[in-house]
Amino acid sequence: MIHCQALRWGAPGQPLTPAVDFELPKGSLTAVIGANGSGKSSLLKVIAGLQKPLTGKVILDVPRKGSLSFLPQQQHLDRQFPISLQALVAAGFWGSNQSPEIRRDRLKAVLEDWCLKGLEQRPLMALSGGELQRALLARLSLADAPVLLLDEPHAALDELGQSLLWKHLHAWHAEGRTLVVVCHDLAAVRQHIPQTLLIKSSGCVLGPSTALIHQQPHTQVA
Amino acid sequence: MLAVAQLWQPFHEFVFMRRALIGGLVLACSTAPLGVFLILRRMSLIGDAVAHGILPGAALGFWFAGLSLPALTLGGLGAGLSMAGIAAWITRRTGLREDASLAAIYPISLAGGVLILGIAGKRLDLLHLLFGSALAVDGPTLTGMLWVSGFSLIAMACIYKPLLLDTLDPLFLQTVSRLGPLAHGVFLTLVVLNLVIGFQAIGALMVVGLMMLPAAASRFCSRRLPVLMGIAALLGSLSVWLGLLLSFYYSLPSGPAIVLVAGSLYVLCVVFGPVHGLLRRPPLLTSQ
Repeated sequence: MIHCQALRWGAPGQPLTPAVDFELPKGSLTAVIGANGSGKSSLLKVIAGLQKPLTGKVILDVPRKGSLSFLPQQQHLDRQFPISLQALVAAGFWGSNQSPEIRRDRLKAVLEDWCLKGLEQRPLMALSGGELQRALLARLSLADAPVLLLDEPHAALDELGQSLLWKHLHAWHAEGRTLVVVCHDLAAVRQHIPQTLLIKSSGCVLGPSTALIHQQPHTQVA
Repeated sequence: MLAVAQLWQPFHEFVFMRRALIGGLVLACSTAPLGVFLILRRMSLIGDAVAHGILPGAALGFWFAGLSLPALTLGGLGAGLSMAGIAAWITRRTGLREDASLAAIYPISLAGGVLILGIAGKRLDLLHLLFGSALAVDGPTLTGMLWVSGFSLIAMACIYKPLLLDTLDPLFLQTVSRLGPLAHGVFLTLVVLNLVIGFQAIGALMVVGLMMLPAAASRFCSRRLPVLMGIAALLGSLSVWLGLLLSFYYSLPSGPAIVLVAGSLYVLCVVFGPVHGLLRRPPLLTSQ
């Protein structure tokens, strides 16, 4: 459960919305949509505890460390960093106490899951944007966190990658995890994600995706 | 042309050469991983800033205790750490980039140091402090270098994983662990510690060369982080050894000789390095 109380966020002195209250129930799958600069990514960071809210608070029913996984946008990463894809993905095991054998098997399975087999030893700079995105998603899936926050997970993914992504999102949803996804592809949101949080400078609207997105002309929101 | 025996003979024959060699080698090994991480964190010039900033502390130490190793070390350590600490604090409070804060703090620190030396009236040789002399490494300094190198290698091994993630993907690390700032702090402390112990031996500015040149050169040799650190340590050690020999046989100042050898190795790596090197062959299709 993610409960936001009288929450305002944004740059100091410049809140993006009036104070908002909303609650994302445990096991829900929610899309966050809104125009550029409306504060979608910042909202995820505030929920993840990476950024302080201006007012109000975010209450989680689980401790943040260890039970929350965050998929950042990939431009944060230094593509020149001398590390292999496998080492990047394996960072998802942080804090896990599984034995090395179990980890090895899981890592293999996850790499296969995300169609990254054969790329294990590739350095980051030799990966395409889509491959890197799948690697970040693979790292996220190793963490087994009950709360998943994904910032534009579909970025740089081709059709195959997107269908993989939606397959995994639905699987995670079915496992009862709480998911919050920032997404620009409104058609896909409408098709795949039951609940949508629309951020506007006048406030936030939380409702069924089909209702919310139907009302909005495509050009205004995206 | 040096005969093979001549490569060992000075170190065999003279205690001061042996001390300089051992001190330089351990320093090269402990500064190599620090330099590699400084470059990866885009803080390549921080070493320079810190090396300058150490001066007022060393000057104060000199003022109170004369040319004594513990006083100079403690003073330099205090100045270096407080400078790095203040810069980190300003960065966290204001969001200004860390290099900007450090670049603003170090001239203050440097000017303070020169001022203190001027007021003190006694003349500590500034040139010696900045450029040092490897051949003047005495027993206690060597012991200090061994301790610092051992400690920083062990500490680096301990913070390696969090530091790696904090460098590559700080947002991810922040969501899974609180170790990021700690690793950052320990890392900066180690940088200061190595620069302070190094400035006794080859001079503050020359240690920066020993720290950064092999690290920068290694980027042209591999794409794997552990290999990079190994190569940097190797190149650093090679520079110390060849530099000391050159300074011995041709009566050159030892600090610059070491750094210039490291500089030549860097140029060689830029030209011939297999990764991004100017003359690298186009990668084969099967090379992955």
